[in-house]
Amino acid sequence: MDVVRRLVKNPTSLIGIVLLLGFVVIAIAAPFIAPPEANSRNIYIIPRDGFSNQPKAPSELHPMGTTEGQYDILYGVVWGTRTAFRVGIVITLITTLIGLIVGSLAGFYGGWVDEVLMRITEVFLVFPFLLAAITLTSVLQTVYGRGEANFLVYLAKALAVITFFQSPTTDLDPIQIQILTGMLAIIVFGWMTYARVIRGNILTVKEQEYAVAAKLIGASDIRILFRHLLPNAVFPVVVLASMDIGSYVLTFAALSFLGLGAQRGYADWGQMISFARSWISSLGAYWYIVVYPGVAIILFVLAWNLVGDALRDLMDPRLRGRGND
Amino acid sequence: MLSFIIRRLLILPLLLIAVTILIFSMLSMLTPYERASLYVQDIPKRQGAMEGIIKKYGLDEPVPVQYWRWMTGTKDEKTGKVEGGVLSGNLGWSKTGKGTVWEVIARRLPATAELALWTAIPMVGIGVYLGIVSAVNHNKLIDQVLRVFSIVGWSIPVFVFGLLVLMFFYAKLGWFPPGRLSDWAIQIVQSTGFIQYTKMYSIDALLNGRIDIFWDALRHLILPVLTLAYLDWAYLLRVTRSSMLDTLNQDYMTTARAKGLSENKVIMRHAVPNALIPVVTVGALMLIALLNGVVITETIFNIPGMGSFLAESALSLDVVSVLGVTMFNCLILLLGNLIVDIMYGIIDPRIRLQ
Repeated sequence: MDVVRRLVKNPTSLIGIVLLLGFVVIAIAAPFIAPPEANSRNIYIIPRDGFSNQPKAPSELHPMGTTEGQYDILYGVVWGTRTAFRVGIVITLITTLIGLIVGSLAGFYGGWVDEVLMRITEVFLVFPFLLAAITLTSVLQTVYGRGEANFLVYLAKALAVITFFQSPTTDLDPIQIQILTGMLAIIVFGWMTYARVIRGNILTVKEQEYAVAAKLIGASDIRILFRHLLPNAVFPVVVLASMDIGSYVLTFAALSFLGLGAQRGYADWGQMISFARSWISSLGAYWYIVVYPGVAIILFVLAWNLVGDALRDLMDPRLRGRGND
Repeated sequence: MLSFIIRRLLILPLLLIAVTILIFSMLSMLTPYERASLYVQDIPKRQGAMEGIIKKYGLDEPVPVQYWRWMTGTKDEKTGKVEGGVLSGNLGWSKTGKGTVWEVIARRLPATAELALWTAIPMVGIGVYLGIVSAVNHNKLIDQVLRVFSIVGWSIPVFVFGLLVLMFFYAKLGWFPPGRLSDWAIQIVQSTGFIQYTKMYSIDALLNGRIDIFWDALRHLILPVLTLAYLDWAYLLRVTRSSMLDTLNQDYMTTARAKGLSENKVIMRHAVPNALIPVVTVGALMLIALLNGVVITETIFNIPGMGSFLAESALSLDVVSVLGVTMFNCLILLLGNLIVDIMYGIIDPRIRLQ
């Protein structure tokens, strides 16, 4: 609770928290702010008001304007909040989990287990993140496009259960597959930092007296890991993870912008901005296509960055002056 | 020192092999039909011919055998023709680029290299400078302003920034257009009188003595450079700032001041060199950020470089091209990391003695 109090006192983190709460409210209230059409199959597909290719400026009917194909921008921005939360949180949870497992095993057992795991981590780290995500997304989309049932499909279905809250027996439709491949690609290349950090922390904590004492008494490995090492090593990972939610949302938005993540017409901020690519020379007139979703992304990522930054600042003095305040 | 460099050089091929294994495992998720572009240019329409190709290049053999072939090349038993593998630079045929992957990379590399070159200097220079200013004026107004600027900068996606900047400076003001050169300049560059030494238009213009083309190239470069650099200024600023803050608190700083040195000397001669050590390691991260940022920047500003090639191939699911470019990028990254590590060893004697 001390942490929470200090978070609220700091002005920048307060702004971050307020922004985040604002987004949460918008996400929950989405059906009221931008009601979906009565007979739409998928409420995440932005409703279209006609089929004209000319984007229309903000008006009473469409407070934020429409894109080409007449997708309502306000609807996209509001429901896109849900997509952003889902994608960001699911990716962060899974990457943190993988990183925790790999890092804990490496740090705790040491020796050749550590060597092997760390070499594997290094190889994954060689790939520049966005490039790797783009590469894997296109590979996975080719594979999924074939429509056979295999291990990867089960993986995607499992991911769909967490992301879309649907039962494991439902089949995936192509729209979801595109989003899931993007998420999978980011997950595969996103866990390495956590693994390293946790490993480093466990290595440090392992030498502490209480850990050595526990081992001397004869505590089992698992017990030592869970009760002594992890609780002390986890907080830095929590901080890193909270800052990374923003960056995962950014990467996913970049994938959608390039055409690889969410499909055309889906309520995702990056996807909506990709509409602007066809109107570069007349962007002055069609500014709303870029500005509204763009501001949404910026504020969302900013919020997470501010909160994560404040958490990190909180952590530093605690590390240096152990338990002073 | 030498053993340090040798150790790093020895690990490099191992990492490269690991990278190729990872890339190949992604390749093997594809069917033999899809992988045929690794070897042949035109996928034949007749079913029989396709099977012939699969047999010839062993596309249905066990994975390790295929990996070996992919790396070392194949020898056609009937004609005796030897085709090189990855080790000789044969990365397959690119549908998107309509040439071998290697050719396309060679064709598009200069645009990216030019962009990276012009970005690196302002990015590093301004980011580090602002970081130093921010740390030296710790907690004063300028520090707060720069910190906010840095956090906000970090939150803006590359494509949003690029589009906003395009919208303002091109669509509204018409000052800086996208692309690499205006039409009139392209005609001159492609004529016989103009020698393209490096294929980087700005450098070539200078080498050919054509200042007007140089300015035109620069005009086109300003916005992409601004976009690419902006995010990394923010990051460099933070890293330099925290490193400077740590350094400024050290004891030897107090000693320097006690000796009576001017504040300027104290900062420039003692604080900055020590503070820059961790910033150098960030240089590797900057390289990564450049390789990443370049994909979107080139796509938005219509620059035909490696980044936009990657985006186009990924979109058309031309997996062979995608993997070829990725492998090339990893090679660059590994080399860049090596150089940074060596520089780090040179700058900080403590590392060498480990």
